[in-house]
Amino acid sequence: MNYRSSVEILTEWDIVAARQLGRNEAKEVGFGTVDQARITTAISELARNIYLYAGKGKIEIERILEGGSFGIIIIASDEGPGIPDVRKVMEDGFSTSGGLGAGMPGVKRLMDDFKIETVIGEGTVIKATKWIR
Amino acid sequence: MNIQVILKEEENYVKGFISGEIDAFTSPMLREKLSEVEPKNDLKVELDMSDVSYMDSTGLGVIVAFYKNINAYNGHVKLTRLSPRLKRLFDITGLGEIMDIDTDNKGGN
Amino acid sequence: MPHEIERQYKEILRQYVMRQSEQNLYTGQNFSQQLIQKNISPEEVISIHKSALEEMFPELQMNVWHSFDFLIEMMIRYGLAHAEHQSLLKQQEEMKVEMDLAANVQKTLLKTTVPCIDGLEIGLISVPVRKMNGDYIYFLSDNQTNAGIAVADVIGKGLPAALCMSMIKYGLDSLKDATANPQKVLDMINRIVEKSVDDDMFISMFYGLYNREESLFTYASAGHEPALFFKYKTSEFSNLHAKGLLLGVVPDVTYEQHEVKMETGDFIVMMTDGVTECRTNEGFIAQEIITSLIYSLRDEPAQTIVDKVFKELEQMQNFELRDDFTLVIFKKTV
Repeated sequence: MNYRSSVEILTEWDIVAARQLGRNEAKEVGFGTVDQARITTAISELARNIYLYAGKGKIEIERILEGGSFGIIIIASDEGPGIPDVRKVMEDGFSTSGGLGAGMPGVKRLMDDFKIETVIGEGTVIKATKWIR
Repeated sequence: MNIQVILKEEENYVKGFISGEIDAFTSPMLREKLSEVEPKNDLKVELDMSDVSYMDSTGLGVIVAFYKNINAYNGHVKLTRLSPRLKRLFDITGLGEIMDIDTDNKGGN
Repeated sequence: MPHEIERQYKEILRQYVMRQSEQNLYTGQNFSQQLIQKNISPEEVISIHKSALEEMFPELQMNVWHSFDFLIEMMIRYGLAHAEHQSLLKQQEEMKVEMDLAANVQKTLLKTTVPCIDGLEIGLISVPVRKMNGDYIYFLSDNQTNAGIAVADVIGKGLPAALCMSMIKYGLDSLKDATANPQKVLDMINRIVEKSVDDDMFISMFYGLYNREESLFTYASAGHEPALFFKYKTSEFSNLHAKGLLLGVVPDVTYEQHEVKMETGDFIVMMTDGVTECRTNEGFIAQEIITSLIYSLRDEPAQTIVDKVFKELEQMQNFELRDDFTLVIFKKTV
Protein backbone atom coordinates (compact mmCIF):
# COMPACT_ATOMS: atom_id res chain seq x y z
CA MET A 1 0.00 0.00 0.00
CA ASN A 2 1.61 3.24 -1.16
CA TYR A 3 1.83 6.10 1.28
CA ARG A 4 -0.93 8.58 0.40
CA SER A 5 -1.94 11.87 1.98
CA SER A 6 -4.58 14.36 0.94
CA VAL A 7 -6.00 17.86 1.29
CA GLU A 8 -9.59 18.92 0.71
CA ILE A 9 -9.87 21.95 -1.54
CA LEU A 10 -12.68 24.31 -0.62
CA THR A 11 -11.15 27.72 0.05
CA GLU A 12 -8.21 29.52 -1.46
CA TRP A 13 -6.21 28.79 1.74
CA ASP A 14 -6.53 25.10 0.97
CA ILE A 15 -4.43 25.67 -2.13
CA VAL A 16 -1.59 26.76 0.14
CA ALA A 17 -2.09 23.71 2.33
CA ALA A 18 -1.95 21.46 -0.72
CA ARG A 19 1.28 23.16 -1.84
CA GLN A 20 2.82 22.63 1.57
CA LEU A 21 1.87 18.99 1.63
CA GLY A 22 3.21 18.52 -1.88
CA ARG A 23 6.53 20.13 -1.15
CA ASN A 24 7.00 18.10 2.03
CA GLU A 25 6.16 14.85 0.28
CA ALA A 26 8.43 15.68 -2.66
CA LYS A 27 11.26 16.38 -0.22
CA GLU A 28 10.64 13.10 1.63
CA VAL A 29 10.69 11.13 -1.61
CA GLY A 30 14.06 12.69 -2.39
CA PHE A 31 13.41 15.28 -5.10
CA GLY A 32 15.87 18.20 -5.38
CA THR A 33 14.91 21.81 -4.69
CA VAL A 34 13.99 22.67 -8.24
CA ASP A 35 11.81 19.58 -8.70
CA GLN A 36 10.17 20.24 -5.36
CA ALA A 37 9.25 23.68 -6.66
CA ARG A 38 7.96 22.23 -9.92
CA ILE A 39 5.79 19.65 -8.21
CA THR A 40 4.45 22.31 -5.89
CA THR A 41 3.64 24.59 -8.82
CA ALA A 42 1.79 21.75 -10.56
CA ILE A 43 -0.24 21.08 -7.41
CA SER A 44 -0.93 24.78 -7.07
CA GLU A 45 -2.28 24.92 -10.62
CA LEU A 46 -4.47 21.84 -10.20
CA ALA A 47 -5.80 22.93 -6.81
CA ARG A 48 -6.55 26.37 -8.16
CA ASN A 49 -8.54 24.91 -11.02
CA ILE A 50 -10.61 22.91 -8.55
CA TYR A 51 -11.19 26.01 -6.47
CA LEU A 52 -12.15 28.18 -9.44
CA TYR A 53 -14.19 25.80 -11.57
CA ALA A 54 -15.42 22.91 -9.42
CA GLY A 55 -15.84 24.71 -6.13
CA LYS A 56 -14.84 21.66 -4.15
CA GLY A 57 -12.42 18.76 -4.58
CA LYS A 58 -9.39 16.97 -3.31
CA ILE A 59 -5.66 16.80 -3.89
CA GLU A 60 -4.06 13.47 -3.05
CA ILE A 61 -0.34 12.84 -3.09
CA GLU A 62 1.06 9.37 -3.28
CA ARG A 63 4.66 8.21 -2.99
CA ILE A 64 5.50 5.48 -5.47
CA LEU A 65 8.26 3.04 -6.30
CA GLU A 66 8.27 1.43 -9.72
CA GLY A 67 10.99 -0.46 -11.52
CA GLY A 68 13.55 0.76 -9.03
CA SER A 69 12.61 4.43 -9.37
CA PHE A 70 11.05 6.60 -6.72
CA GLY A 71 8.37 9.05 -7.68
CA ILE A 72 5.26 10.93 -6.74
CA ILE A 73 1.69 10.99 -8.08
CA ILE A 74 -0.61 13.96 -7.72
CA ILE A 75 -4.29 13.06 -7.99
CA ALA A 76 -6.59 16.06 -8.36
CA SER A 77 -10.25 15.10 -8.24
CA ASP A 78 -13.53 16.95 -8.06
CA GLU A 79 -17.26 16.50 -8.59
CA GLY A 80 -17.55 19.60 -10.67
CA PRO A 81 -19.13 20.19 -14.09
CA GLY A 82 -16.44 18.30 -16.00
CA ILE A 83 -14.38 19.60 -18.90
CA PRO A 84 -16.39 19.87 -22.15
CA ASP A 85 -13.46 20.20 -24.57
CA VAL A 86 -10.35 18.52 -23.24
CA ARG A 87 -8.41 19.07 -26.45
CA LYS A 88 -8.96 22.79 -26.24
CA VAL A 89 -7.89 22.85 -22.61
CA MET A 90 -4.64 21.09 -23.56
CA GLU A 91 -3.77 23.57 -26.32
CA ASP A 92 -1.01 26.10 -26.01
CA GLY A 93 -1.93 29.67 -26.58
CA PHE A 94 -3.84 32.65 -25.39
CA SER A 95 -7.22 30.98 -25.07
CA THR A 96 -6.38 28.96 -22.01
CA SER A 97 -3.36 30.46 -20.33
CA GLY A 98 -3.47 34.02 -21.59
CA GLY A 99 -0.03 33.49 -23.04
CA LEU A 100 1.41 32.99 -19.57
CA GLY A 101 2.28 29.35 -19.92
CA ALA A 102 -0.06 28.23 -17.15
CA GLY A 103 -3.06 25.91 -17.35
CA MET A 104 -3.03 22.22 -18.17
CA PRO A 105 -0.21 22.48 -20.71
CA GLY A 106 1.90 24.02 -17.95
CA VAL A 107 1.18 21.17 -15.54
CA LYS A 108 2.02 18.71 -18.27
CA ARG A 109 5.39 20.38 -18.79
CA LEU A 110 6.23 20.38 -15.10
CA MET A 111 5.52 16.68 -14.59
CA ASP A 112 6.57 13.53 -16.42
CA ASP A 113 3.19 11.89 -16.93
CA PHE A 114 -0.24 13.43 -17.24
CA LYS A 115 -3.74 11.95 -17.58
CA ILE A 116 -7.21 13.55 -17.56
CA GLU A 117 -10.47 11.70 -17.01
CA THR A 118 -13.61 13.75 -17.08
CA VAL A 119 -17.36 13.14 -17.24
CA ILE A 120 -19.71 16.04 -17.95
CA GLY A 121 -21.94 16.66 -14.99
CA GLU A 122 -20.03 14.28 -12.77
CA GLY A 123 -16.50 15.53 -12.33
CA THR A 124 -12.85 15.30 -13.22
CA VAL A 125 -9.82 13.30 -12.12
CA ILE A 126 -6.34 14.41 -13.13
CA LYS A 127 -3.27 12.27 -12.40
CA ALA A 128 0.21 13.68 -12.79
CA THR A 129 3.38 11.71 -12.04
CA LYS A 130 7.00 12.71 -11.59
CA TRP A 131 10.03 10.46 -11.21
CA ILE A 132 13.39 11.06 -9.63
CA ARG A 133 15.89 10.96 -12.44
CA MET B 1 -6.87 48.89 -36.01
CA ASN B 2 -9.27 49.97 -33.33
CA ILE B 3 -13.01 49.83 -33.31
CA GLN B 4 -15.74 50.82 -30.93
CA VAL B 5 -19.37 49.82 -31.19
CA ILE B 6 -22.08 51.28 -28.97
CA LEU B 7 -25.67 50.05 -29.19
CA LYS B 8 -28.67 51.78 -27.64
CA GLU B 9 -31.86 49.73 -27.59
CA GLU B 10 -35.35 51.11 -27.07
CA GLU B 11 -38.57 49.20 -27.75
CA ASN B 12 -38.49 48.54 -31.48
CA TYR B 13 -35.60 50.84 -32.23
CA VAL B 14 -31.85 50.30 -32.06
CA LYS B 15 -29.32 53.05 -32.59
CA GLY B 16 -25.75 52.02 -33.14
CA PHE B 17 -22.59 54.12 -33.23
CA ILE B 18 -19.56 52.61 -34.91
CA SER B 19 -16.21 54.33 -34.72
CA GLY B 20 -12.74 53.46 -35.85
CA GLU B 21 -11.68 51.11 -38.59
CA ILE B 22 -13.62 48.12 -39.85
CA ASP B 23 -11.19 45.68 -41.40
CA ALA B 24 -10.21 42.05 -41.25
CA PHE B 25 -8.97 42.46 -37.67
CA THR B 26 -11.83 44.45 -36.20
CA SER B 27 -14.81 43.09 -38.14
CA PRO B 28 -15.16 39.98 -35.94
CA MET B 29 -15.76 42.31 -33.03
CA LEU B 30 -18.35 44.22 -35.03
CA ARG B 31 -20.04 41.00 -36.02
CA GLU B 32 -20.21 39.89 -32.42
CA LYS B 33 -21.65 43.19 -31.25
CA LEU B 34 -24.27 43.26 -34.01
CA SER B 35 -25.30 39.70 -33.19
CA GLU B 36 -26.52 41.06 -29.86
CA VAL B 37 -29.37 42.76 -31.71
CA GLU B 38 -32.35 40.44 -31.73
CA PRO B 39 -34.16 40.51 -35.05
CA LYS B 40 -37.91 40.97 -34.76
CA ASN B 41 -40.88 42.19 -36.72
CA ASP B 42 -40.77 45.91 -37.54
CA LEU B 43 -37.44 46.44 -35.78
CA LYS B 44 -35.73 49.62 -36.93
CA VAL B 45 -31.96 49.76 -36.75
CA GLU B 46 -29.93 52.84 -37.48
CA LEU B 47 -26.14 52.63 -37.69
CA ASP B 48 -24.32 55.92 -37.45
CA MET B 49 -21.11 55.57 -39.44
CA SER B 50 -19.83 59.13 -39.08
CA ASP B 51 -16.79 58.08 -37.04
CA VAL B 52 -15.81 55.17 -39.24
CA SER B 53 -12.46 56.20 -40.63
CA TYR B 54 -12.00 53.18 -42.85
CA MET B 55 -13.94 50.17 -43.98
CA ASP B 56 -12.82 47.43 -46.30
CA SER B 57 -14.64 44.55 -47.89
CA THR B 58 -14.58 42.40 -44.75
CA GLY B 59 -16.50 45.13 -42.93
CA LEU B 60 -18.90 45.24 -45.84
CA GLY B 61 -19.50 41.53 -45.42
CA VAL B 62 -20.40 41.91 -41.76
CA ILE B 63 -22.79 44.79 -42.42
CA VAL B 64 -24.55 43.05 -45.30
CA ALA B 65 -24.93 39.81 -43.36
CA PHE B 66 -26.46 41.84 -40.52
CA TYR B 67 -28.73 43.64 -42.98
CA LYS B 68 -29.90 40.36 -44.50
CA ASN B 69 -30.58 38.90 -41.07
CA ILE B 70 -32.65 41.83 -39.80
CA ASN B 71 -34.53 41.96 -43.09
CA ALA B 72 -35.37 38.28 -42.92
CA TYR B 73 -37.47 39.03 -39.83
CA ASN B 74 -39.15 42.07 -41.39
CA GLY B 75 -36.88 44.58 -39.76
CA HIS B 76 -35.17 47.52 -41.39
CA VAL B 77 -31.56 48.68 -41.35
CA LYS B 78 -30.43 52.19 -42.21
CA LEU B 79 -26.86 53.45 -42.45
CA THR B 80 -26.32 57.13 -41.80
CA ARG B 81 -23.62 59.78 -42.10
CA LEU B 82 -21.26 57.86 -44.33
CA SER B 83 -18.09 59.56 -45.48
CA PRO B 84 -17.72 60.05 -49.26
CA ARG B 85 -15.22 57.21 -49.46
CA LEU B 86 -17.54 54.86 -47.59
CA LYS B 87 -20.44 55.93 -49.77
CA ARG B 88 -18.37 55.20 -52.86
CA LEU B 89 -17.76 51.68 -51.61
CA PHE B 90 -21.50 51.09 -51.27
CA ASP B 91 -22.17 52.69 -54.66
CA ILE B 92 -19.63 50.67 -56.60
CA THR B 93 -20.75 47.40 -55.07
CA GLY B 94 -24.34 48.20 -55.90
CA LEU B 95 -25.26 47.80 -52.25
CA GLY B 96 -26.15 51.46 -52.12
CA GLU B 97 -29.20 50.67 -54.20
CA ILE B 98 -30.58 47.81 -52.16
CA MET B 99 -29.74 49.17 -48.74
CA ASP B 100 -31.04 52.29 -47.07
CA ILE B 101 -28.13 54.68 -47.04
CA ASP B 102 -28.51 58.21 -45.80
CA THR B 103 -26.50 60.59 -47.95
CA ASP B 104 -26.62 63.30 -45.33
CA ASN B 105 -22.93 63.12 -44.46
CA LYS B 106 -20.83 65.62 -42.60
CA GLY B 107 -18.57 66.11 -45.59
CA GLY B 108 -14.84 65.72 -46.03
CA ASN B 109 -12.82 62.53 -45.84
CA MET C 1 21.10 18.07 -15.14
CA PRO C 2 24.42 17.21 -16.73
CA HIS C 3 27.27 17.93 -14.37
CA GLU C 4 29.30 19.28 -17.23
CA ILE C 5 26.89 22.20 -17.60
CA GLU C 6 27.06 22.95 -13.89
CA ARG C 7 30.82 22.79 -13.92
CA GLN C 8 31.08 25.12 -16.91
CA TYR C 9 28.64 27.62 -15.45
CA LYS C 10 30.48 27.70 -12.16
CA GLU C 11 33.76 28.28 -13.91
CA ILE C 12 32.44 31.18 -16.02
CA LEU C 13 30.77 32.70 -12.96
CA ARG C 14 33.94 32.37 -10.91
CA GLN C 15 35.93 34.11 -13.64
CA TYR C 16 33.49 36.98 -13.79
CA VAL C 17 33.33 37.44 -10.03
CA MET C 18 37.12 37.67 -10.02
CA ARG C 19 37.66 39.95 -13.01
CA GLN C 20 34.32 41.50 -13.98
CA SER C 21 35.51 41.89 -17.52
CA GLU C 22 33.43 42.38 -20.61
CA GLN C 23 35.10 39.25 -21.99
CA ASN C 24 33.59 37.21 -19.17
CA LEU C 25 30.13 38.58 -19.86
CA TYR C 26 30.46 37.81 -23.55
CA THR C 27 31.52 34.24 -22.74
CA GLY C 28 28.59 34.02 -20.32
CA GLN C 29 26.05 35.12 -22.90
CA ASN C 30 27.34 32.70 -25.48
CA PHE C 31 27.03 30.00 -22.86
CA SER C 32 23.46 31.00 -22.04
CA GLN C 33 22.54 30.47 -25.68
CA GLN C 34 23.75 26.90 -25.28
CA LEU C 35 21.60 26.54 -22.19
CA ILE C 36 18.53 27.76 -24.06
CA GLN C 37 19.22 25.38 -26.92
CA LYS C 38 19.52 22.52 -24.45
CA ASN C 39 16.17 23.56 -22.94
CA ILE C 40 17.63 24.29 -19.52
CA SER C 41 14.84 26.14 -17.73
CA PRO C 42 15.31 29.45 -15.90
CA GLU C 43 14.73 27.87 -12.51
CA GLU C 44 17.47 25.32 -13.21
CA VAL C 45 19.92 28.06 -14.06
CA ILE C 46 19.21 29.79 -10.78
CA SER C 47 19.61 26.51 -8.94
CA ILE C 48 23.03 26.06 -10.56
CA HIS C 49 23.89 29.62 -9.64
CA LYS C 50 22.84 29.03 -6.06
CA SER C 51 24.96 25.92 -5.69
CA ALA C 52 27.88 27.72 -7.32
CA LEU C 53 27.57 30.45 -4.72
CA GLU C 54 27.31 27.89 -1.95
CA GLU C 55 30.67 26.54 -3.08
CA MET C 56 32.34 29.89 -3.56
CA PHE C 57 30.94 31.73 -0.56
CA PRO C 58 29.86 29.17 2.03
CA GLU C 59 29.99 31.77 4.73
CA LEU C 60 26.97 33.67 3.38
CA GLN C 61 23.92 33.96 5.63
CA MET C 62 20.99 31.55 5.46
CA ASN C 63 18.79 34.44 4.33
CA VAL C 64 20.67 34.64 1.07
CA TRP C 65 20.00 30.96 0.30
CA HIS C 66 16.35 31.46 1.26
CA SER C 67 16.09 34.31 -1.16
CA PHE C 68 17.41 32.07 -3.91
CA ASP C 69 14.79 29.44 -3.14
CA PHE C 70 12.23 32.19 -3.48
CA LEU C 71 13.67 33.25 -6.81
CA ILE C 72 13.59 29.67 -8.09
CA GLU C 73 9.90 29.50 -7.27
CA MET C 74 9.32 32.80 -9.10
CA MET C 75 11.14 31.68 -12.22
CA ILE C 76 9.12 28.52 -12.76
CA ARG C 77 6.31 30.48 -14.37
CA TYR C 78 8.72 32.33 -16.62
CA GLY C 79 10.02 28.97 -17.72
CA LEU C 80 6.50 27.77 -18.51
CA ALA C 81 5.72 30.89 -20.50
CA HIS C 82 8.91 30.47 -22.49
CA ALA C 83 8.16 26.82 -23.19
CA GLU C 84 4.70 27.72 -24.39
CA HIS C 85 6.17 30.37 -26.65
CA GLN C 86 8.57 27.87 -28.18
CA SER C 87 5.76 25.42 -28.75
CA LEU C 88 3.65 28.06 -30.46
CA LEU C 89 6.55 29.01 -32.73
CA LYS C 90 6.86 25.41 -33.80
CA GLN C 91 3.12 25.22 -34.50
CA GLN C 92 3.38 28.38 -36.54
CA GLU C 93 6.14 26.85 -38.65
CA GLU C 94 4.02 23.80 -39.30
CA MET C 95 1.09 25.96 -40.33
CA LYS C 96 3.32 27.87 -42.74
CA VAL C 97 4.23 24.63 -44.43
CA GLU C 98 0.57 23.73 -44.78
CA MET C 99 -0.28 27.14 -46.17
CA ASP C 100 2.51 26.86 -48.73
CA LEU C 101 1.05 23.57 -49.80
CA ALA C 102 -2.43 25.03 -50.05
CA ALA C 103 -1.15 28.01 -52.00
CA ASN C 104 0.51 25.67 -54.49
CA VAL C 105 -2.64 23.67 -54.88
CA GLN C 106 -4.52 26.88 -55.47
CA LYS C 107 -2.05 28.01 -58.13
CA THR C 108 -2.37 24.75 -59.98
CA LEU C 109 -6.14 24.53 -59.80
CA LEU C 110 -6.74 28.09 -60.85
CA LYS C 111 -4.22 28.32 -63.68
CA THR C 112 -5.41 30.20 -66.68
CA THR C 113 -3.76 30.85 -70.04
CA VAL C 114 -3.21 34.36 -71.30
CA PRO C 115 -4.93 34.74 -74.69
CA CYS C 116 -2.88 35.24 -77.83
CA ILE C 117 -4.66 37.65 -80.17
CA ASP C 118 -3.04 39.67 -82.93
CA GLY C 119 -2.87 43.32 -82.06
CA LEU C 120 -3.80 42.83 -78.43
CA GLU C 121 -1.17 43.07 -75.72
CA ILE C 122 -2.08 41.72 -72.31
CA GLY C 123 -0.18 42.57 -69.16
CA LEU C 124 -1.04 41.10 -65.81
CA ILE C 125 0.15 41.03 -62.25
CA SER C 126 -1.52 39.52 -59.20
CA VAL C 127 0.22 39.57 -55.84
CA PRO C 128 -1.46 38.13 -52.75
CA VAL C 129 -0.97 39.93 -49.45
CA ARG C 130 -0.59 36.58 -47.68
CA LYS C 131 -0.18 33.06 -48.99
CA MET C 132 -3.63 32.55 -50.49
CA ASN C 133 -4.76 34.96 -53.14
CA GLY C 134 -8.25 36.40 -52.75
CA ASP C 135 -8.11 37.91 -56.23
CA TYR C 136 -8.80 35.80 -59.26
CA ILE C 137 -8.12 36.21 -62.98
CA TYR C 138 -9.65 33.96 -65.64
CA PHE C 139 -9.21 34.11 -69.37
CA LEU C 140 -11.50 32.65 -71.99
CA SER C 141 -10.35 32.95 -75.59
CA ASP C 142 -10.46 31.36 -79.03
CA ASN C 143 -6.97 32.78 -79.59
CA GLN C 144 -8.07 34.34 -82.82
CA THR C 145 -10.77 36.91 -82.45
CA ASN C 146 -12.17 36.96 -78.94
CA ALA C 147 -10.50 37.40 -75.58
CA GLY C 148 -12.65 37.33 -72.48
CA ILE C 149 -11.38 38.19 -69.03
CA ALA C 150 -12.88 37.85 -65.58
CA VAL C 151 -11.30 39.73 -62.70
CA ALA C 152 -12.77 38.76 -59.37
CA ASP C 153 -12.16 39.82 -55.80
CA VAL C 154 -13.43 37.49 -53.17
CA ILE C 155 -14.46 39.53 -50.20
CA GLY C 156 -13.01 37.85 -47.19
CA LYS C 157 -9.49 36.49 -47.05
CA GLY C 158 -7.51 33.32 -46.79
CA LEU C 159 -8.71 29.79 -47.08
CA PRO C 160 -12.52 30.33 -47.37
CA ALA C 161 -11.96 32.92 -50.08
CA ALA C 162 -9.77 30.56 -52.05
CA LEU C 163 -12.27 27.74 -51.81
CA CYS C 164 -14.95 30.11 -53.09
CA MET C 165 -12.82 30.69 -56.14
CA SER C 166 -12.93 27.09 -57.24
CA MET C 167 -16.66 27.51 -57.58
CA ILE C 168 -16.19 30.47 -59.89
CA LYS C 169 -13.58 28.66 -61.92
CA TYR C 170 -15.79 25.68 -62.57
CA GLY C 171 -18.64 28.00 -63.39
CA LEU C 172 -16.53 29.84 -65.94
CA ASP C 173 -15.10 26.58 -67.27
CA SER C 174 -18.61 25.49 -68.16
CA LEU C 175 -18.86 28.45 -70.54
CA LYS C 176 -16.47 27.21 -73.26
CA ASP C 177 -17.82 29.88 -75.59
CA ALA C 178 -15.31 32.69 -75.94
CA THR C 179 -17.96 35.06 -77.27
CA ALA C 180 -20.05 34.75 -74.12
CA ASN C 181 -21.80 37.97 -73.26
CA PRO C 182 -20.39 39.68 -70.10
CA GLN C 183 -23.89 40.31 -68.80
CA LYS C 184 -24.84 36.65 -69.14
CA VAL C 185 -21.59 35.47 -67.60
CA LEU C 186 -22.14 37.53 -64.46
CA ASP C 187 -25.71 36.37 -64.20
CA MET C 188 -24.66 32.74 -64.35
CA ILE C 189 -21.90 33.10 -61.81
CA ASN C 190 -24.15 35.09 -59.52
CA ARG C 191 -26.69 32.31 -59.37
CA ILE C 192 -24.03 29.71 -58.60
CA VAL C 193 -22.44 31.81 -55.89
CA GLU C 194 -25.65 32.99 -54.25
CA LYS C 195 -26.73 29.43 -53.63
CA SER C 196 -23.50 28.30 -52.10
CA VAL C 197 -21.82 30.97 -50.05
CA ASP C 198 -22.08 32.22 -46.49
CA ASP C 199 -24.09 35.32 -45.84
CA ASP C 200 -21.02 37.43 -45.22
CA MET C 201 -19.01 36.30 -48.23
CA PHE C 202 -19.31 38.09 -51.53
CA ILE C 203 -17.50 38.39 -54.74
CA SER C 204 -17.03 41.42 -56.89
CA MET C 205 -16.35 40.63 -60.51
CA PHE C 206 -15.64 42.46 -63.71
CA TYR C 207 -16.08 40.65 -67.01
CA GLY C 208 -14.76 42.06 -70.26
CA LEU C 209 -14.74 40.75 -73.80
CA TYR C 210 -12.46 42.07 -76.55
CA ASN C 211 -13.38 41.40 -80.13
CA ARG C 212 -10.54 41.92 -82.62
CA GLU C 213 -12.70 42.22 -85.73
CA GLU C 214 -14.75 45.08 -84.34
CA SER C 215 -12.05 46.44 -82.03
CA LEU C 216 -14.75 46.50 -79.43
CA PHE C 217 -14.43 45.97 -75.71
CA THR C 218 -17.71 44.92 -74.08
CA TYR C 219 -17.98 44.83 -70.32
CA ALA C 220 -20.20 44.36 -67.28
CA SER C 221 -19.52 44.61 -63.58
CA ALA C 222 -20.84 43.04 -60.40
CA GLY C 223 -19.97 45.57 -57.72
CA HIS C 224 -16.37 45.69 -58.92
CA GLU C 225 -13.87 48.54 -59.09
CA PRO C 226 -14.56 50.41 -62.33
CA ALA C 227 -12.01 49.72 -65.02
CA LEU C 228 -10.11 52.60 -66.60
CA PHE C 229 -10.11 53.36 -70.29
CA PHE C 230 -7.17 55.30 -71.70
CA LYS C 231 -7.70 57.01 -75.02
CA TYR C 232 -4.31 57.57 -76.62
CA LYS C 233 -5.43 60.28 -79.04
CA THR C 234 -6.82 62.52 -76.31
CA SER C 235 -4.50 61.36 -73.51
CA GLU C 236 -7.54 60.99 -71.30
CA PHE C 237 -8.61 58.45 -68.75
CA SER C 238 -12.26 57.61 -68.17
CA ASN C 239 -13.99 55.27 -65.76
CA LEU C 240 -15.83 52.35 -67.30
CA HIS C 241 -18.88 52.23 -65.07
CA ALA C 242 -21.42 49.45 -65.30
CA LYS C 243 -24.06 49.07 -62.66
CA GLY C 244 -24.51 45.70 -61.07
CA LEU C 245 -24.75 44.26 -57.59
CA LEU C 246 -22.01 42.17 -56.00
CA LEU C 247 -22.27 38.46 -56.69
CA GLY C 248 -23.87 36.34 -54.04
CA VAL C 249 -26.23 38.82 -52.39
CA VAL C 250 -29.52 38.12 -54.18
CA PRO C 251 -30.19 35.57 -56.96
CA ASP C 252 -31.86 37.86 -59.47
CA VAL C 253 -29.76 40.75 -60.67
CA THR C 254 -29.73 42.81 -63.83
CA TYR C 255 -26.24 43.65 -64.96
CA GLU C 256 -25.68 46.66 -67.19
CA GLN C 257 -23.53 46.03 -70.23
CA HIS C 258 -21.59 48.67 -72.15
CA GLU C 259 -19.01 48.78 -74.87
CA VAL C 260 -16.16 50.99 -75.93
CA LYS C 261 -14.34 51.16 -79.27
CA MET C 262 -10.58 50.79 -79.07
CA GLU C 263 -8.01 52.42 -81.34
CA THR C 264 -4.28 51.90 -81.64
CA GLY C 265 -2.50 52.81 -78.41
CA ASP C 266 -5.70 52.68 -76.34
CA PHE C 267 -5.81 50.44 -73.34
CA ILE C 268 -8.13 49.14 -70.62
CA VAL C 269 -6.90 48.94 -67.04
CA MET C 270 -8.68 46.41 -64.84
CA MET C 271 -7.92 46.04 -61.16
CA THR C 272 -9.11 44.99 -57.76
CA ASP C 273 -9.43 47.28 -54.75
CA GLY C 274 -5.97 46.24 -53.61
CA VAL C 275 -4.84 48.86 -56.11
CA THR C 276 -7.29 51.65 -55.37
CA GLU C 277 -7.03 51.21 -51.62
CA CYS C 278 -3.28 51.64 -51.50
CA ARG C 279 -2.34 53.70 -48.50
CA THR C 280 0.70 55.31 -47.02
CA ASN C 281 0.94 56.72 -43.52
CA GLU C 282 -0.46 59.96 -44.83
CA GLY C 283 -3.57 58.45 -46.30
CA PHE C 284 -4.91 56.91 -49.46
CA ILE C 285 -2.88 57.12 -52.65
CA ALA C 286 -5.12 59.17 -54.89
CA GLN C 287 -6.33 57.84 -58.20
CA GLU C 288 -4.57 60.74 -59.91
CA ILE C 289 -1.21 59.41 -58.78
CA ILE C 290 -2.00 56.02 -60.24
CA THR C 291 -3.30 57.42 -63.51
CA SER C 292 -0.39 59.80 -63.98
CA LEU C 293 1.96 56.92 -63.33
CA ILE C 294 0.23 54.84 -65.99
CA TYR C 295 0.17 57.84 -68.32
CA SER C 296 3.95 58.19 -68.09
CA LEU C 297 4.25 54.55 -69.19
CA ARG C 298 1.65 54.71 -71.99
CA ASP C 299 4.04 53.81 -74.77
CA GLU C 300 5.45 50.79 -73.01
CA PRO C 301 4.32 47.20 -73.54
CA ALA C 302 1.33 46.20 -71.39
CA GLN C 303 3.33 43.88 -69.17
CA THR C 304 5.94 46.56 -68.51
CA ILE C 305 3.24 49.00 -67.47
CA VAL C 306 1.69 46.66 -64.89
CA ASP C 307 5.08 45.59 -63.53
CA LYS C 308 6.28 49.16 -63.09
CA VAL C 309 3.01 50.35 -61.54
CA PHE C 310 3.17 47.55 -59.03
CA LYS C 311 6.80 48.23 -58.13
CA GLU C 312 6.08 51.92 -57.68
CA LEU C 313 2.99 51.43 -55.52
CA GLU C 314 4.74 48.73 -53.51
CA GLN C 315 7.56 51.13 -52.75
CA MET C 316 5.17 53.93 -51.85
CA GLN C 317 3.58 51.62 -49.31
CA ASN C 318 6.94 50.62 -47.87
CA PHE C 319 6.71 47.12 -49.29
CA GLU C 320 3.71 46.39 -47.11
CA LEU C 321 0.62 45.40 -49.04
CA ARG C 322 -2.73 45.73 -47.31
CA ASP C 323 -4.75 43.70 -49.75
CA ASP C 324 -4.26 41.36 -52.70
CA PHE C 325 -3.07 43.46 -55.63
CA THR C 326 -4.30 42.67 -59.11
CA LEU C 327 -3.77 44.73 -62.24
CA VAL C 328 -4.53 43.71 -65.84
CA ILE C 329 -4.08 45.75 -69.00
CA PHE C 330 -5.57 45.07 -72.43
CA LYS C 331 -3.67 47.23 -74.94
CA LYS C 332 -4.53 47.60 -78.60
CA THR C 333 -1.28 47.79 -80.50
CA VAL C 334 -2.38 47.56 -84.11
